[in-house]
Amino acid sequence: MKNATQIQQSPETAIFVRDLRKSYGKLEAVKGVDLGIKQGEIYGLIGPDGAGKTSIFQILGGVMQETSGEMSIYGKTAREARSFVGYLTQAFSLYQDLTVAENLRYIGDLRLLSKREIEERGMKYLRLFDMDRFTDRLAGRLSGGMKQKLALACALIAEPRILLLDEPTTGVDPVSRREFWDTLAELSDQGMTMVVATPYLDEAERCSRVSLIFDGKIVETGTPKELRENLGLQRLELRADDLSKAEEILNQVEKIDDVQRFGDRLDLMVADAKGGEKLTREVLQKEGVAVEGFHVGQPTLENTFVAVLRDLEGKLTAPPFPRKRHFQERSPEAVAIGAENVNKIFGDFIAVKDINLAIKYGEIYGLLGANGAGKTTTIKMLCGLLPPTNGVIELAGERGSTRSQHVRQRVGYMSQKFSLYDDLTIEENLDFFAGVYGVPLADREEKKRWVMEFSGLQGQEKMLTGELPGGWKQRVAFGSAILHEPSVLFLDEPTSGVDPLARRAFWKMINELADRGVAILVTTHYLEEAEQCNRLGFMVAGEVVAEGTPTSVKAAQTGHLIEFITDKPQAASNLLKKEMERWRISLFGDRLHVVVEENVQTGINNLKKRLTEAGIKVFDAYEETRSLEDVFIAVVESKREN
Amino acid sequence: MRRIIAQARKELTQVGRDKLTLTLALFLPLVLLALMGTAISLSVTDLPIVVQDLDNSPESRRYIEAFRNSLTFRIVELPTDEQPEESLLDNHARGAIIIPEHFGRDLERGMNTEVQFLVDASDANTANIMRGASTAITLNFVKNMRSAIAVPIKADVRMWYNPGRESSTYIAPGMLAVGLSLFPPLLAALAMSREGEQKTILQVYVSSISAREYLLGKIGAYWLIAVGEWVLSMILAYFLFGLSIKGDPTPFVVCTGIYLFTTVSFGAMVGVAIPNQAAAIQAVQIAGFLFSYLLSGSIFPVSNIPFPFSIISRIIPARYYIVVARDALVRSGDWSGVWHIPLILLGIGMFFFMVAWRNTRKMQVNA
Repeated sequence: MKNATQIQQSPETAIFVRDLRKSYGKLEAVKGVDLGIKQGEIYGLIGPDGAGKTSIFQILGGVMQETSGEMSIYGKTAREARSFVGYLTQAFSLYQDLTVAENLRYIGDLRLLSKREIEERGMKYLRLFDMDRFTDRLAGRLSGGMKQKLALACALIAEPRILLLDEPTTGVDPVSRREFWDTLAELSDQGMTMVVATPYLDEAERCSRVSLIFDGKIVETGTPKELRENLGLQRLELRADDLSKAEEILNQVEKIDDVQRFGDRLDLMVADAKGGEKLTREVLQKEGVAVEGFHVGQPTLENTFVAVLRDLEGKLTAPPFPRKRHFQERSPEAVAIGAENVNKIFGDFIAVKDINLAIKYGEIYGLLGANGAGKTTTIKMLCGLLPPTNGVIELAGERGSTRSQHVRQRVGYMSQKFSLYDDLTIEENLDFFAGVYGVPLADREEKKRWVMEFSGLQGQEKMLTGELPGGWKQRVAFGSAILHEPSVLFLDEPTSGVDPLARRAFWKMINELADRGVAILVTTHYLEEAEQCNRLGFMVAGEVVAEGTPTSVKAAQTGHLIEFITDKPQAASNLLKKEMERWRISLFGDRLHVVVEENVQTGINNLKKRLTEAGIKVFDAYEETRSLEDVFIAVVESKREN
Repeated sequence: MRRIIAQARKELTQVGRDKLTLTLALFLPLVLLALMGTAISLSVTDLPIVVQDLDNSPESRRYIEAFRNSLTFRIVELPTDEQPEESLLDNHARGAIIIPEHFGRDLERGMNTEVQFLVDASDANTANIMRGASTAITLNFVKNMRSAIAVPIKADVRMWYNPGRESSTYIAPGMLAVGLSLFPPLLAALAMSREGEQKTILQVYVSSISAREYLLGKIGAYWLIAVGEWVLSMILAYFLFGLSIKGDPTPFVVCTGIYLFTTVSFGAMVGVAIPNQAAAIQAVQIAGFLFSYLLSGSIFPVSNIPFPFSIISRIIPARYYIVVARDALVRSGDWSGVWHIPLILLGIGMFFFMVAWRNTRKMQVNA
């Protein structure tokens, strides 16, 4: 843990903050934060929802007055520094009804740039983001990823020395997210300083340093590597025949710090890998659960985050769901959500093309795809909100006519955009949804109490929903979608903007529902959590291009991921990007990831030779296991090229 | 200055992009003007009355004839089985004249005689007009009968400025003012609250544009649109009601410019205070339309407004603008009667602007 006296102001300090405090009336949101951010750093702020991240950003951006504390940005106050600080806010600060070029021009004019500067720089950044074809398109018509890149271009047009990015990639698909971070890496290499908040911890891995914020205070600071090592735990991947039972048993074992369930495995956090494996085998054998395999892995930043927060917040317990309805037993082979050759055509645009799905009761199916791949359209057709152009839909045992009252009662849907009424209180929202879904009056109180407890909002029933931060709202929305105990559940980006700890509570609940026989279809842009699905489908341009369990999808990929440790990672990345397809290369902090198709050793040798020729020293190179995100990007990009 | 222009250009581009809003913004004031100017008529004509002639002499018939010839009244048949007061009750007639027996004979003899005129006064205004008209007709009748009688004073009334007493000539300038106090501020308020609602305003705060420049840019853009609305309304008023600027145009033009600044600033003030588009619309509609319509003298004379509304009426810009508009469009006035009005309008406008500015500045550091 850092304390205030350790942070010194030096010439290379870009942002210096000491004992920053901010109160809103009685509520103290920021309780004495110290920061010393060096020029050219990508500095990550991570923390649960409502930890005070946005307040810090608004103070640094000069749009909010701090209550007390010392702060300087290159020796200036935040308000004076506005001329060289770029600020990207949580919601896209774009004018949807202006074109790309007009947005840039407006911001450029406000910053008093000359017309030539606006045009030259605008084009420069648009070209850098591969968006120069879209100058005349309305901002509102851009995909989420492109909107975010345009917002970044607007922030960059004044060539700021410092960039503040407050959750810039919420709701942006993995492909765009990776491109976005590649751009940030390039900018940081050119000497720009960046402060980034993100709920996605795989992104935080790409920061040079990270501070973990909890309850308005900084708990820990360090490079991602330091943070992972400080944890002093190792991650064990366990495969067993009955995961749900194994999870239950291992949760009781004291020596195991944390158990997390994924679609086809459990992740255990233990102090010592060897001892932990032995202990687990013994415990499970006694209970009659067959162990199918063990794998020792590096802890992720997410493991660290969860472990640290758990120490601070106490063990996370999702309250038991009050179950009132009894379903008739169904054969596990019965199809809950089915689609046969379903198409959806809007005018001359084919939004969904020949989708075939068969999701069984008790199964969690993850539908993944870039923004605009057709996921939301597919979900809307499956749950009967949109008629398919042709093809047959099957839902909760009925074919074709999925709009009947009977089916509706058994389906839950949490949509991406609208889920709650902002101008009603939380309680009124819950009453409303309980009413429309016909939850028996006698059960309502108990159900409502459960949602409040699940969301961690006990005692806040009278609060207006619109005043809740995004992450909390998602929790309430999720709770209200399952109030009526549906047997089929559609979740469209349920965890968007939700912090890692709450995300785990979500998934614990999702798993619990699946264990009870609920069929669940979920979409997400966060592929680490997609690993918790039983089966996955990747959508590209309206088609499902790959399907299978997380493990089988990964195994089906040809090619290998090689991690390089070099002295000039950015230069190496730039060089290789010119010679190979862009998606094959990405930077993770100081490490370079390259996907090669040939055999690992030849790949390493070839690339090593190529980098050395260009004067880049390679310290180390080895094969890494590919994450689901790597696989996803490879699948999507190779389809796009065809 | 560059920032102000940038802000104004951005606003105009946004409005131009939204074809529906633009059409409505330019078209609705014309609809309001045309509708109010033609639909509302204050002159009362053709009121049905019944007559019960108990005398039935040549004199009494001549007297009835005088009523029949007036534009105000129309004589309808009194059913034989009905009393005059019943005709009033069943809305058959609005008034009833009862001529007593011996009416003709008493007149011949030069004796005083009385005619009863029952008026349905549930509509007070019309009742007044009926009273006035019936008195005038009776007086005229008497004068014609006894031309020999010398009247010491004769009031010779000439209707100036609006000799035909056309309602539209009176109402149209008022509706022009009401329309311009509703639509331009509505657009301005929407544009303001939209930035608050969609959080784009943060982008403005982090750039170094000042609150004053931001507001001036917005107000400038919507002022231009308002001028466009004014020009179109004037064209319509010319063709539909034959109204045009008579005499010295400068007071009207100058006051229009200031008046539009005042109303747009009002919209901006509301938009800053209420960062919610639906609520902002309501606020502008109530204040901009209802108050300007009722308390500005657009139809109902300002002098009739009771306390305490008479005080509110004094801070309503339309009240002052209407005076100038009538002066220019109906009376061919010059500066002498309205020199103080630009100053009052400017004062109210600056007040709105300062409130908007203070709130914007406050938000800039507290957002």
